Amino acid sequence: MPRFLHTADWQIGRQYTRFEQDDAMALAEARLSAVERLAALAAEEQVDAVLVAGDIFDAQTLSERTLHRTFQALAAYSGPWVMLPGNHDAALVESVWTRAARMGAIPANVHLLASPEPFILANISTAILPAPLTQRQTYQDLTVWFDHAETPEGFLRIGLAHGSVTGLLAESVDSPNPIAADRAASARLDYLALGDWHGCKQIDAHTWYSGTPEADRFRNNASGQALLVSLKAPEEAPSATPVEVGQHGWHQWQRQLAVTSDVDALMAELQALPARSVLDLTLQGQLDLASYQRLEQALGLAAGRQRSLQVHQDELTLAPTAEDIAALQADGYVGSVIEDLQQRQQSDAEGETANEALAILAGLLLDQTPASQSQEHPSCS
Amino acid sequence: MQLISLKVSEFQQFRTACMLSDLTPGINLFTGPNEAGKSTLVRAIRAAFFERHKSSTLSDLQPWGDSSASPQVSLAFDWQGQHWQLDKRFLQRKRCDLQVGDTHYSGDEAEEHLAQLMGYATPARGASKAEHWGIPGLLWVEQGAGQHIRDPAHHAGEHLQSALSQHLGDALGEVVSSGGDQLIQQVEQQRGKLLTPTGKPTGDLRDAQQACHTLAEELAEREEQVSRYQDQVDHLGQLQAKQYEVASQRPWEAQREKAKAAETQLAAVEKLREQQAQAQKTLDDFQHQQQLNHQQLEDFAAQATQLEERQKDKQKAEQQLAQCKEQAAPIEHQREAASQHYEDARQILTAARHKAHRQRLQQQLKGAEDKVRRLAETLAKARELHQQRQELNAQHQRQSVDIDALERLRKLELQLGQLQAKQEMLATRLAYRLEAGQQLIIDQAPVAGEGEKRLLRATDVAIPGVGTLTIQPGGTDVADLLRQQQNLEADREALLQQLQVTDLASAEQQASDARELAHKVEQTALRLGDLAPKGVDTLAGEHQLAEQERSALAASLAALPAHQDDAALPTEELASRQLETAQAQLEEAEQARSHHQQTLTLAQQALTNAEREWQRLAAAIQAPDRQEREQSAQRRLIELKAEVEQLQADINTRQRDIDAANPTVLAQDIKRFSDSADAMEYEARERASEIERLKTRLETLGAQGLEEQRDALRQQLESQQRRRLQLEKRAKALDLLLSLLKRERQVVTRKLQAPLQKHLNHYLRLIFPGATLSVDDNLLPQALIRASSHPHQAQEHGELAALSFGAQEQMGLISRLAYADLLREAGRPTLIILDDALVHCDRERLEQMKRILFDAAQRHQILLFTCHPQHWDDLGVAPRDLVSLKRATSG
Repeated sequence: MPRFLHTADWQIGRQYTRFEQDDAMALAEARLSAVERLAALAAEEQVDAVLVAGDIFDAQTLSERTLHRTFQALAAYSGPWVMLPGNHDAALVESVWTRAARMGAIPANVHLLASPEPFILANISTAILPAPLTQRQTYQDLTVWFDHAETPEGFLRIGLAHGSVTGLLAESVDSPNPIAADRAASARLDYLALGDWHGCKQIDAHTWYSGTPEADRFRNNASGQALLVSLKAPEEAPSATPVEVGQHGWHQWQRQLAVTSDVDALMAELQALPARSVLDLTLQGQLDLASYQRLEQALGLAAGRQRSLQVHQDELTLAPTAEDIAALQADGYVGSVIEDLQQRQQSDAEGETANEALAILAGLLLDQTPASQSQEHPSCS
Repeated sequence: MQLISLKVSEFQQFRTACMLSDLTPGINLFTGPNEAGKSTLVRAIRAAFFERHKSSTLSDLQPWGDSSASPQVSLAFDWQGQHWQLDKRFLQRKRCDLQVGDTHYSGDEAEEHLAQLMGYATPARGASKAEHWGIPGLLWVEQGAGQHIRDPAHHAGEHLQSALSQHLGDALGEVVSSGGDQLIQQVEQQRGKLLTPTGKPTGDLRDAQQACHTLAEELAEREEQVSRYQDQVDHLGQLQAKQYEVASQRPWEAQREKAKAAETQLAAVEKLREQQAQAQKTLDDFQHQQQLNHQQLEDFAAQATQLEERQKDKQKAEQQLAQCKEQAAPIEHQREAASQHYEDARQILTAARHKAHRQRLQQQLKGAEDKVRRLAETLAKARELHQQRQELNAQHQRQSVDIDALERLRKLELQLGQLQAKQEMLATRLAYRLEAGQQLIIDQAPVAGEGEKRLLRATDVAIPGVGTLTIQPGGTDVADLLRQQQNLEADREALLQQLQVTDLASAEQQASDARELAHKVEQTALRLGDLAPKGVDTLAGEHQLAEQERSALAASLAALPAHQDDAALPTEELASRQLETAQAQLEEAEQARSHHQQTLTLAQQALTNAEREWQRLAAAIQAPDRQEREQSAQRRLIELKAEVEQLQADINTRQRDIDAANPTVLAQDIKRFSDSADAMEYEARERASEIERLKTRLETLGAQGLEEQRDALRQQLESQQRRRLQLEKRAKALDLLLSLLKRERQVVTRKLQAPLQKHLNHYLRLIFPGATLSVDDNLLPQALIRASSHPHQAQEHGELAALSFGAQEQMGLISRLAYADLLREAGRPTLIILDDALVHCDRERLEQMKRILFDAAQRHQILLFTCHPQHWDDLGVAPRDLVSLKRATSG
């Protein structure tokens, strides 16, 4: 019985504005290499076809180079690539598809299903029913026609759609591109391959979201996978196995720091995080000078190990202890300034500024104090 | 701190050792002339503290020319109950040893220890410079530098603050920061990288802000492009959908069908209208024929009546012609009479003209004859006068006397007369009375009777018979007179000769005659001028001309026709008028005749016409087919009536059909439907071309990768914004930090100002009672404020630099003493060295300064070097003479 690789939401051409430029470029590049890995996977698994359930491209107007690279990334797998236009790459009158076609970039084994009519893969007795988007947004269920679609007797019926299954996903309420939750049943589909949801998710026995092969946001779980689908006899539930494809895990942490051991814990956590992850770290609480400096060092280390590390420490207050200040030899009026800044840290209006100012001051004082001073914190390194 | 002893050797002047010992607390006065070594000692103290013993650039410390010397300074002092001994050797066998009580320091350590104690810095390398000197630099005044206070005080600033704050710590809290100023500098520098002094963004911050701004603009533009692109794609989609729909329906074809149907309908109506027009034309034709037939019948009926009228007309014309002919004779007669009359009048006029002409000629002739006669008379008279004048002229010519000669003659006569009288008087009178008949011959002239002779010359008196008596008048006068007389007489004779007269009287007569003649000539000329103003010849000419004129006139008159009796003739004018009248009458008569002839012709014509008319009509009436024609016309009329009625009915029916079909609206329909079809096709074509255009444009735009560019821009923008936020945050933090540091520092400075002020005022009271010396944030003396000498000004405010040189020096010293007091209070060592200080003071001020110094010496050890011992002999200490000291030590 046929086997497919189900994937979706490649979002090629996507750029990450929230990251620094080199990180962003690497992450954009990662989407292409994910496609290469998909092709390798499909070849390795010798699947009968790859089903791509929409949003292959992130935008309609991408550079020629990007288009060429995308289609070239498919090279490892020479079987049929069955692609569905999603909301990002809808089959508009003038679209990324028409352009790619004009450029002659689309290889022969790529089948773009741009109109709602059955696509027959006769060699494996399979009819694919696509629900392509021909507008950016639509508020009607494009899969309705599946219910009455005629397919050759004895052929498998596989639906290919892009949108939100109504009533199932929290964000799908009133969302565009709706898909009836019972479509697989009502249209007697052996498998309904969905795209749009970036996490891998099963809807019912016959219906799955494959998720994006390379994570691109923090909130979806189970991103970075593709589904290896094995179909059994018609109307029998298929087996869908998630396969890891993505390179970069996306993590969003929020940590409370108060004492030195909190810093230790965080350092351990950072250590444990797989390399090349994308980490968004929000720190709160307050630290004394020594811990603060350790933290800074640890974060610097982590930044080197991970693909991207973004730290939000606006709510993390530097609270030098009396010993800290003594160690800084902040005598005289500089001491008064430190006190003043500490007071200001409590204020909402300029707490952040005061925090920063204090950090700067501490840094300067540390630089000023003779070398012997640093020996007091051997644990730093 | 009390310096106890100082020993120098191989040091500049002091090639051998020189020792100052037993130095006391308070003032130590060293005197000596120039070159005695005062400054060398001061230099030695400085070198002991400031210079690094390791330094190799201190060759100036060696005695001049001795490069192998190893300058050495040893000094001993007490401080806080401990004895300090410092030995320092430079350049050769460099050493530095410091013994403090039982503790021994050497080398760098010893130097650091000292620097910390005294509050100065050691140079990292090379010779120590002013900026290293710290507190001693302030308290040790070099020769001639007493007035400079700001720089030394500035260099001492941090040491001062540090020193003072340690002491004041308890009272003020830990206010003074050891590295504070450096910190402020660093913060200021870092802030300066992001903000200008006035708080405007600069450097990276400004760049980031500008980049954000630029990127935001670019992004907005790119987003706008993307949005436009998407709109165009949508538009293309709509157009294509519409094109598809229209292509399948082809709505213009339905419109064309409708137009065609309307055209067919219209064609039918047009046919009807053509038939209608044809019928109308036939109807008009028939109606015209009806009229014609009616007319013909009427004409037939009228002809008989007309014949009678024509008859009457003919007769009337005949009558008129006859009448006209009758008038011909009298009119001709009248004309002939008028013609005769005119001819008569014309002849009379000619005669009258001849008569008048002759009369005029006769008159002219008479005038001419008169003129000739008059001229002849005048001419005769003139000729006579001319003759007369010529004669008179000739006479006058003859009679004329030379007036000058006459005058001269008159004079001669007069002279002769006078001469005669003289002779009479002078002459010898010869009176004689002769007997009757007796005579004497006197000068051969016989003399008889009685008489007297005057003898002027020898006169012979011949007495006949007796002889001759010669009487000789006596004297020369007589002879002279006689000669004169003879001369005069000769002249007179010549004149008379010239004048052709015998004597004067006749000459006078002749002259008188000549004048009269001249007068006559003149008169004659005048008269002649009256008669013939242009001369006699002209007059003769005139006469001749008149004569010619007269003969011409006479000839003309003679040529005239024979004389008639024309007394009855009217005048020329009257005759002329009569002729005019006659002519008018003649013309009238001729006109009348002409008019009559015309009337006659017309009458004849009228008659001919009338006869012809009558002839024609009569012929028509009597024409053989007349009956036949009349009947035919009546038959035709009846036929026509029926036909017209039929036609009228047809026309009415047809018109109703035409009206019902409404061809105008049909034509409009055709236009409307075809236009609609055209418009639809046009729209479809336009749409197709717009689709092509849009496609091309979108293909071009799409190729630019707009969204990718947009996303890249967005990425850059957000990255820049993050950077900007970070920089802004940092700038704000640095700004805050800097302002806090400065503020706190100022607070501290202010706290230190008060005690310094106190000490300053303490000294100032001694020299300027009531004055104060203000101190700035850096603890530097700033301005002297004292009671004003001006009545209207409460205070006098003098910047230190503006004071006199002497006053500046005094303020400098006072400030130093005040610092020293402050340091002493802070438990810091103080040693004051004054090298030739206060040399610019006047006597009075110096006195006061000495009081101040004496006062300060109660608290500090002061080393005072001077070359003017007499100025300082009242300081309460014995001066030490350096010269003798030197001698004593070296000895």
